[in-house]
Amino acid sequence: MGQKIRDAYYIPGMENGKRVDSRILEERIQRAVEQGYRKIEVEAYGQHGIGGRLWKAGNEEVLIYITGAPGQRVGSMGFPNTKIEILGNSSDDVGWLNAGAEIVVHGHASNGIANAMAQGKIYIAGNIGARGMTMTKFNPRFSHPELWVLGSVGDYFAEFMAGGIAVICGYNPQNPENVLGYRPCVGMVGGKIFVRGKHGPFSEKDAKRVQISEEEWEWLTNNLKVFLQRINREELFEELSRYEDWDLIVSKTPYEKRAQGLKSMSEFYEKIWCKELGKGGLIGDLVDYDRSPIPIITTGELRRYIPVWENKKYAAPCESACPAGIPVQERWALIRDGRLDEAVDIALVFTPFPTTVCGYLCPNLCMQNCTKLKYNMSPVDVTLLGKASTEANPPKIPEITGKKVAVIGGGPGGISAAWQLRLMGHDVVVFDREEKLGGKIQKYIPKSRIPEDVLNKDLERIRKVISHVQLKQDIDKDKFKELVAEYDFVILAIGAQRPRLLPVEGKEMLISALDFLGKSKRDEIKPGDRVVVIGAGNVGCDVATEAHRLGAKEITLIDIQEPASFGKERQEAEKIGAKFMWPVFTKKITKDGVITDSGELIPADTVVISIGDVPELEFLGEDIEIEKGFVKVNEYYQTSNPKVFAIGDVVKLGLITDAIGAGRIAATAIDEISKGLEVTIPKRPEIDKQRMNPFFFNPRLVRYQDVSECASECMSCGRCRDCGICITLCPQAAISRVSLANGEFELVVDGDRCIGCGFCADVCPCGIWNLVPNDPVC
Amino acid sequence: MFSNGPITPSQLSLKDLPWLIYWDKEKCQLCGRCVAACPVRAIELGTFRKRIVETPINNKKAHSNVYKVFYGIKQKADPAHACIGCGLCSKVCPNDAIIPYHNEEVDKLRFHINLGGQPRRRGGRRNDPGTLLDRIKFIRISMLTDPALDAGRHEFELRTLLGRVLPPEENLRLYKEEGWTPPVREIYPLVIGGMSFGALSPNMWEGLVMGVTYLNEELGMPVRMCTGEGGCPPRLLRSRFLKYIILQIASGYFGWDEIIHAIPEMKEDPCAIEIKYGQGAKPGDGGLLMWYKVNKLIAAIRGVPPRVNLPSPPTHQTKYSIEESVAKMIQSMYMAWGFRVPVYPKISGTSTALAVLNNLTRNPYAAALSIDGEDGGTGAAYNVSMDHMGHPIASNVRDCYLNLVKLGKQNEIPIFGAGGIGKRGNLAANAAALIMLGASGVQVGKYIMQAAAGCVGSESDRCNICNIGQCPKGITSQDPRIYRRLDPEKVAERLVDVFMAFDTELKKIVAPLGRSTSLPIGMSDALGIDDYHAAERLKIKYVV
Repeated sequence: MGQKIRDAYYIPGMENGKRVDSRILEERIQRAVEQGYRKIEVEAYGQHGIGGRLWKAGNEEVLIYITGAPGQRVGSMGFPNTKIEILGNSSDDVGWLNAGAEIVVHGHASNGIANAMAQGKIYIAGNIGARGMTMTKFNPRFSHPELWVLGSVGDYFAEFMAGGIAVICGYNPQNPENVLGYRPCVGMVGGKIFVRGKHGPFSEKDAKRVQISEEEWEWLTNNLKVFLQRINREELFEELSRYEDWDLIVSKTPYEKRAQGLKSMSEFYEKIWCKELGKGGLIGDLVDYDRSPIPIITTGELRRYIPVWENKKYAAPCESACPAGIPVQERWALIRDGRLDEAVDIALVFTPFPTTVCGYLCPNLCMQNCTKLKYNMSPVDVTLLGKASTEANPPKIPEITGKKVAVIGGGPGGISAAWQLRLMGHDVVVFDREEKLGGKIQKYIPKSRIPEDVLNKDLERIRKVISHVQLKQDIDKDKFKELVAEYDFVILAIGAQRPRLLPVEGKEMLISALDFLGKSKRDEIKPGDRVVVIGAGNVGCDVATEAHRLGAKEITLIDIQEPASFGKERQEAEKIGAKFMWPVFTKKITKDGVITDSGELIPADTVVISIGDVPELEFLGEDIEIEKGFVKVNEYYQTSNPKVFAIGDVVKLGLITDAIGAGRIAATAIDEISKGLEVTIPKRPEIDKQRMNPFFFNPRLVRYQDVSECASECMSCGRCRDCGICITLCPQAAISRVSLANGEFELVVDGDRCIGCGFCADVCPCGIWNLVPNDPVC
Repeated sequence: MFSNGPITPSQLSLKDLPWLIYWDKEKCQLCGRCVAACPVRAIELGTFRKRIVETPINNKKAHSNVYKVFYGIKQKADPAHACIGCGLCSKVCPNDAIIPYHNEEVDKLRFHINLGGQPRRRGGRRNDPGTLLDRIKFIRISMLTDPALDAGRHEFELRTLLGRVLPPEENLRLYKEEGWTPPVREIYPLVIGGMSFGALSPNMWEGLVMGVTYLNEELGMPVRMCTGEGGCPPRLLRSRFLKYIILQIASGYFGWDEIIHAIPEMKEDPCAIEIKYGQGAKPGDGGLLMWYKVNKLIAAIRGVPPRVNLPSPPTHQTKYSIEESVAKMIQSMYMAWGFRVPVYPKISGTSTALAVLNNLTRNPYAAALSIDGEDGGTGAAYNVSMDHMGHPIASNVRDCYLNLVKLGKQNEIPIFGAGGIGKRGNLAANAAALIMLGASGVQVGKYIMQAAAGCVGSESDRCNICNIGQCPKGITSQDPRIYRRLDPEKVAERLVDVFMAFDTELKKIVAPLGRSTSLPIGMSDALGIDDYHAAERLKIKYVV
């Protein structure tokens, strides 16, 4: 073929018909440069990397002309002093890792042109193949690398392009429909692409089209002239320099890439979602309530739980346990309010024996059920209040407007019923066969347990209310019939007077407990040194205590089972040294004492039988139903004869307070029946003891000094103490106290402030606040 | 309150509970937010009494006892209010003064959770944090052996087929004869598994469908979601979005009369019909939507009166043999849409899966087989079913696929795998492993709840109270006071995030395998595991 370029140092790629190896050719080019040649012609036969790395010329310009068919990577790692002209077409990767060389290809070039180029310029007079201008860089120490293509570029142009300027002139392109090829600019992060002519889409994720600025246009046109001059096509300048034909594509900034131009979800919701489904979206047709987002902590209607102030909704455990239904916690509240008189008087609404029973005789079920016991604290001592009640003022006695009622039996039950009925305005007459009112309290209970003056005080008050009392009245069959006929209602309150005996040998030597107690109370009996009591219940204990008072030294209570006695009676008996024995079965009674079934003798001067008493019911007509020796009644003590009620021991053996409570219920029932009402026995449910908060009370308090200490240490279960702790503790300041017209008050919650945390319910000493689920929304 | 009284065997102390509350008196400002937020009311305001005793030795009279009350947050010990560890208290605390932590020893509560003879029921997942899928590695990395692909640069067509694919000659014959060919859908291989409207809250469900629609219409990803058994909102049935939905029919048939009534008004066919025979979380057991979750809305969608219990029996009532059950159901469901909609059964993972599959291969209508493995989740189930019943998904899918290979039908009936995919957060890796074991696609539920809605449930038995309507995030509640915590649009956004990220991760896995235009279904030469027996069982490479 031979040399084509004048003055050039000629290096052939073929020698003696044999292709020169790329390594040898490279050595020869480098040696020529070293020897001072600055214009070299290489006639190429596919050799690799021609024209790169010519640093040995220093700053002097080296011109390389390539004729023939160069191999891949012409001008790779080219230096700024190097100018390469390929006179025909070129293979792949022209200017690979170009670091400054200017390379002109006068024909077409194939794939990978300018790949990884960082500086220098590549001018292509034709088209190029795939993956041109990929992974190109811009190093701020140098100027931008440039790729100029007269025609078009192949697919995947400018992938991961990170800098430099590419200019695609679109002149006589391979595909006139798309001069930029398929999927250009994927992963492009830097640089500019000027493009002229029709092109398809590019990766909009990575790049964007922008307006060509004046400055850029000036750069483009100035350099276009240079490009055209280099490829000898200056005549095209005019055709190629129409502003409107050019587009500029630049990489997006990282910030722009982040905002990917996707529709926001709220825009999608409005424009796509609701447009297709209708207003309110997926279920807008099915629900009419708001479904918009809310926070976790909510107020008002959106609270999951709401506090309810349940003042006085439940009975305190003390009240609930009291058969007479005395609202003990309310009495302490009155004392806290400085209203001791009212606290005393209020008892009379429930019992005519506020001192005798509450202060002395009652085992005080209220105290046994006190919430404080649950926490090993001393129960509030109601006996102090009972003892303080001697001067209680009876309620105002109304005019008689109601029915005539006969009460047979002037014991605690009968008196209670009569008391209640009279205070309801009924005309009551009490019949009793004894000389004094008071029943068993009067007749049998030892003075040691109830001082006479205390009982008399209560009875005096009672007589003021119940004026019609007929004493020493034995009621027989005829008299009873007469009473039932004469009166609107009759209340049987005769108690159980007939002792139960044992069918054993020597039973005639026994003395019944009631007989013993009656006589002992009048000091009419001398029991001797040794007393045996058969039956170790509370009455038996009273017998023992009285026997001791009367001089007995050795007192034994025997029982067939573990004794049922409890409370003060038992304590007193134990205190005087009475001996309890069980199980002991009595075989016979002799003058020496009791012989047990094991044959043992328990010596006794007096043997008292105390295994219970039964009512005497012979005088009742056949229309009063009897069951196992007691009168049968319904839940409000009405017998099978609707006019006749029965209460107390005649119905079932029980405590004095049981009889008092029964009297009140029977009286209420009679009152309601006489008014034509349905009988109701109102009873509030007992409060759950878990609701009270014990931690405000002194756990080391053993004995209450006085009623005011009782009042201040009462937990006031179920009844607001008005302590204000909830108001102070509420984190939202949602609770306020509102005074009501009648001197009462209530605590109200501002729902718009409350978050439903339940602090109020958790802290309340009295268990008033209750946190309940809010009403369902749907 | 402290206990003072006889104790019963089931009275526990805090030490016996699985989750304990750490509370910092110094940091707490007693704002009440934690107590208000707690889903199970496990905490309350505590009134604490502090006793200060002064006892100077030299002056007896000066001895004193002073009680001071202070307040704080107290955890309840009774089982009904046992802390579930959800952490909502911590989430709402302005001062970071409270946080639940796991009891270090095996709790005692588990021995008393059957009071009244009722065994424990709960929602959530199997309490087993491990998963074999996470141990499978992708060991075939083509760099120079195959054209290596670039996940970021190359174009991928990550699609799978749902429907019966006929062999080419059969297809050509039918084409020429203008015969019926089974409908086949080209869908995204990650399908949102059946979670019913009712099990999920309205806001959650709407968020999911919205996200799915967005993925389809804005991003061109053909993602599909299965309704679960609870019907489908009437508006969705009558919208073009129905094509993104797989309608599920299960043993309770809830909502199906409403679906039937909507057929004449449908603009589009649904993507497919899934017949549910079993569920991975509670194999062989049915479901029960409790009456208190059945409000007016749920009732309307399911076509029942409000406030009634809705039981789904463990089995379909009128099916007596595998041939009959499958054939009868598939035929009926095809008929409903004029044989245009693919119909496939879903079973729980079981050692009898092959029998079902073999039956399906003989049924020309069967469009796929979906298998739900033991790690599937649920809104409510017996703990024993959840923790101890079911079959692991990997070997189940693998056996089925290899059986199809034996029959030469591996390209004809797609197998979908579900249950525990992404259990430990590795959604794409688990999905790819299952696909390379032979699944054509996977169905996910729990991962979506965790990622798209912030479900806090875990395999350490955290939260898992989907069944009581008190979901702290509002995902499984029907109470607007709770589910309005969830913004459907945000759920949709997160769902889109999940699928976009999954897509990239899946590409990162399949690109080095040289796959870009078809999923590497059954490409098990790319899989390895460091367990010899597992490798043998799954017929993949044992690598150490």
